[in-house]
Amino acid sequence: MAEEKFPINIWVNEERYEKLQTAGLADMCEEMLAGLKVIRVYANSAQRDKILQVFPTAKFDSATTKSIELLPREVKDAIFGKVVEKRSIDILEEFLGQY
Amino acid sequence: MAEIGHGGKEIVERILGPAEAVAQTKGLKSVEVRSQIANEIIDIAYGWFTPLVGFMGKADLDSVCKKMRLTNGAVWSIPILFDLSEGEVSDNGIKEGDSLLLTYDENPMAIFEVEEIYDYDKGEMCQAVYGTTEDKHPGCARTYQYKDKFLGGKITLANRPKINPPYAPYFIPPLEMRKRFREKGWERVVAHQTRNVPHTGHEWLMKGAWFQAYAELSIEKPLVGVLVNAIIGAKRKGDYIDEAIILTHDELRKSGYFGDHNHLTSLTFWDMRYAGPREAIFHAMLRTNLGLTHHMYGRDHAGVGTYYGAYDAHRLLATVQDELAITPVYSMNWLYCPHCGEITSEGLCNHRQEWQMFSGTLIRSIVQDGVKPPRLIFRPEVFDLVMECAEKYGFGSPFVTDEYLEKRTPVFNIPPLSA
Ligand SMILES: [Zn+2]
Repeated sequence: MAEEKFPINIWVNEERYEKLQTAGLADMCEEMLAGLKVIRVYANSAQRDKILQVFPTAKFDSATTKSIELLPREVKDAIFGKVVEKRSIDILEEFLGQY
Repeated sequence: MAEIGHGGKEIVERILGPAEAVAQTKGLKSVEVRSQIANEIIDIAYGWFTPLVGFMGKADLDSVCKKMRLTNGAVWSIPILFDLSEGEVSDNGIKEGDSLLLTYDENPMAIFEVEEIYDYDKGEMCQAVYGTTEDKHPGCARTYQYKDKFLGGKITLANRPKINPPYAPYFIPPLEMRKRFREKGWERVVAHQTRNVPHTGHEWLMKGAWFQAYAELSIEKPLVGVLVNAIIGAKRKGDYIDEAIILTHDELRKSGYFGDHNHLTSLTFWDMRYAGPREAIFHAMLRTNLGLTHHMYGRDHAGVGTYYGAYDAHRLLATVQDELAITPVYSMNWLYCPHCGEITSEGLCNHRQEWQMFSGTLIRSIVQDGVKPPRLIFRPEVFDLVMECAEKYGFGSPFVTDEYLEKRTPVFNIPPLSA
């Protein structure tokens, strides 16, 4: 059975969208909820647990969306920066390595 | 006309006029109370807690724990207790038969006729009410924080609270609320319990419940209303600030998503116990006293963590349904379906693979990322008002912070007492 994955939703505001366009990565966005642009970075359960431990404000929405929410804006900016730098959403292992 | 509340008892306000209050409080020993107790004094005095007329004695507490009833037989699910330490009792020479003046903000608030001073095992209480003794359950934590002596007896309000802006219009006690419902001509009113800023999932919960409650009634004139009843009490960091919760709900009416003919926003002072099924029953009692006929319940109503099953509250309600004067309205989740291009119910749409669920947490996360959610998900008027509340009341944040907890304007004050 495939390992369960839990998304971190990086909501793409105008500032983030500009950066994506500049890097030629605008296609990375998915569209959710009637027009919201989002980049979804997926965590496995060990990564999810580490995130919840390192960032105490973060919350795993176990009831409804099964996503990791409420990471501080700076942390999301940092994850987003990594995605742009690596041109990939597969960056969480490296990102979490610094914590 | 007598207003009959929960347990078939008449709702009678226990409030003294200013001259009586000055005369009757003279010379009484005074005891300062904390906000939870002040909230409950208001609930008792104005009739939110009918048939209770004071804080519980031991027989009522024991009966509530073991049978989920008061000794008079009325269904009652949550203990309402006044606590002091043994030292406070002895240092103040408090004994059964005394009348105490309870103060808040150091001003006279209520007269407490102490009929009984007793002990009760807190672990037993937790197990009975919350189904667990773990102190990480917030209801248990609150129970363990009670001091060791409980005092039972009648409460009479000596001094009405001054409700501060912007809350004042939403403080509508039971007798006044029932009058409002009559003026509006509502034959049925369905309660929406909330501690949240509404997204369209909440909006549709209310709309769905409105349809369910409307049922066979005539549509020639509006006969059914939704009452938003926000629970205002202890806050946790990261919650929406109270001002944002209450004002955004009312904004749904002001912006036309509802109207005066079917929507009213109000508040109840209560520190959530997160007792799940037992809290669901408690909410039914509160809203019966407010004059409602129907009450919405979703999944895991008033639950916390994984203590209660999604439908435990519904099952417990069913066991006492015949004795409650309010009809439960059960709500399925609402979600966004890109195929339908609309908010729909999980009980209706069958594009299951395409469903996009959203929650209050998800919306908070979107807002925190500096993105304005689409209007199908979160109303622009609500979004703008949340931002305005952040500036005006939240010290820059729509969510509770340490600064907010320290510096916020209290919801109410007790002013000095003067005849
Ligand atoms: Zn659909």
